Amino acid sequence: MNNTAVFTSEFNRVFKFFLQELKPRGKWLTPFNVISIPIIIAGLIILYFRFVYGLGSVTNLSQDFPWGLWIGFDVVTGVAFAGGSYVVTFVVYVMRNEKYHSIVRVTVLNGLLAYVFYAGALVLDLGRPWHIVNPIIGNSFGYNSVLFLVSWHFLLYMIAMFVEFSPVIAEWAQLEKVRKFLSALTLGAVIFGITLSILHQSGLGALFLMAKPKIHPLWYSEFIPVLFFVSSIYAGLSMIIFEGTISHKVFKHLIGEGSHHHYDEIVLGLAKGAAITMFVYYFFQALLFIHEKRWELINDFWGYWYLVEVIGFVLIPCFMFAYAVRNRNLGLIKVASVMAILGIILNRLNVSVIAFRWYAVDHYYPSWEEIVVTLMVISVEIWVLRWIVTRMPVFRNP
Amino acid sequence: MEFYTYVNIFETKGLEYLLLLSFLALFILLVRYLSVPGTKDRVAGEKSSTPPH
Repeated sequence: MNNTAVFTSEFNRVFKFFLQELKPRGKWLTPFNVISIPIIIAGLIILYFRFVYGLGSVTNLSQDFPWGLWIGFDVVTGVAFAGGSYVVTFVVYVMRNEKYHSIVRVTVLNGLLAYVFYAGALVLDLGRPWHIVNPIIGNSFGYNSVLFLVSWHFLLYMIAMFVEFSPVIAEWAQLEKVRKFLSALTLGAVIFGITLSILHQSGLGALFLMAKPKIHPLWYSEFIPVLFFVSSIYAGLSMIIFEGTISHKVFKHLIGEGSHHHYDEIVLGLAKGAAITMFVYYFFQALLFIHEKRWELINDFWGYWYLVEVIGFVLIPCFMFAYAVRNRNLGLIKVASVMAILGIILNRLNVSVIAFRWYAVDHYYPSWEEIVVTLMVISVEIWVLRWIVTRMPVFRNP
Repeated sequence: MEFYTYVNIFETKGLEYLLLLSFLALFILLVRYLSVPGTKDRVAGEKSSTPPH
């Protein structure tokens, strides 16, 4: 048999295998399906109106409030939660800490899907979505804009994460030679990905540097890129703990018994990292509080709201993480991770939506259509994650 | 409400130095706190090391 015949037969085998794997598995009537299917259908109908009749037909966005829930939550917050991917790959592949090797695959998959869906949600929010390719193809590079950096980094980082995850796909398709080749690319992709991540996590913060007069002074700072970067570390770690807790219940049958015990040690390590990073982040905030004399702004509604975010959802979960690590209290770690996640959502929404043009008489509130589309994006991501996890060797040790 | 405020970087320097020094001291304490095993672990360790009677 010549090379062409071998390639054709192998291609046919992989194609048939893929078609076979596309078929649904397990029960259809699960609580998640019952809730998510109507949301996805409603979201698709809303998106039809959005693309046919424009943003104004389904959103409360205006010239005064051009960025709403889709940017504030899907893009700015979602990308922060994907930060766990670069943190864990750095610890495993660069620091050579093998303790976390068993969660690398699922973390990279989560990161990849978060970028594909949440950064992909950017398309929904562009008035002329077909212009999204301009920074890439050079029709109008716009390299004076932070968005130029962010768009290129999103694209390159998605490719880097796909390369990091690709050995799992090759292993699933039983392409051993391809898997070996792709595995050899992993370290390079990881280092490239970490560099990109650090830059665009802070780049997302830099997007708001030009909006100084519009953001409340308690949330605006010249150091906002640094704050976005540092907070993305503990956002990612908290999200890994949260998602891992759910995965260990939902996909229990896919994870070996030994891994459950090992996972407790991993959670303690992640919580320790989150506590230290939150402590650093809190001191950054305290330093800015003094440097910019923010105490003059603290005695009104916005001041109390700021304290709720910084003390209630940063300092308190930081202490909870530290206390829980010291006393090996996994339940408290899970509660602290949820609080840290809420804190990140609050911070990103404060910067991009809530405290944005805080002085305006008519403030922006998301329409129900915006909320449904956001829930649709999350639901579809979970569907894809479930499809991949139940078929590919994601929970198996590499 | 379109305005800019300029911060005098020397005005709050003293407080910032104090804050940074306290951060360094507290950071060392936090890392030490997280590195030492907690009460439950110590008790468990002592129990397991005690020979049976």
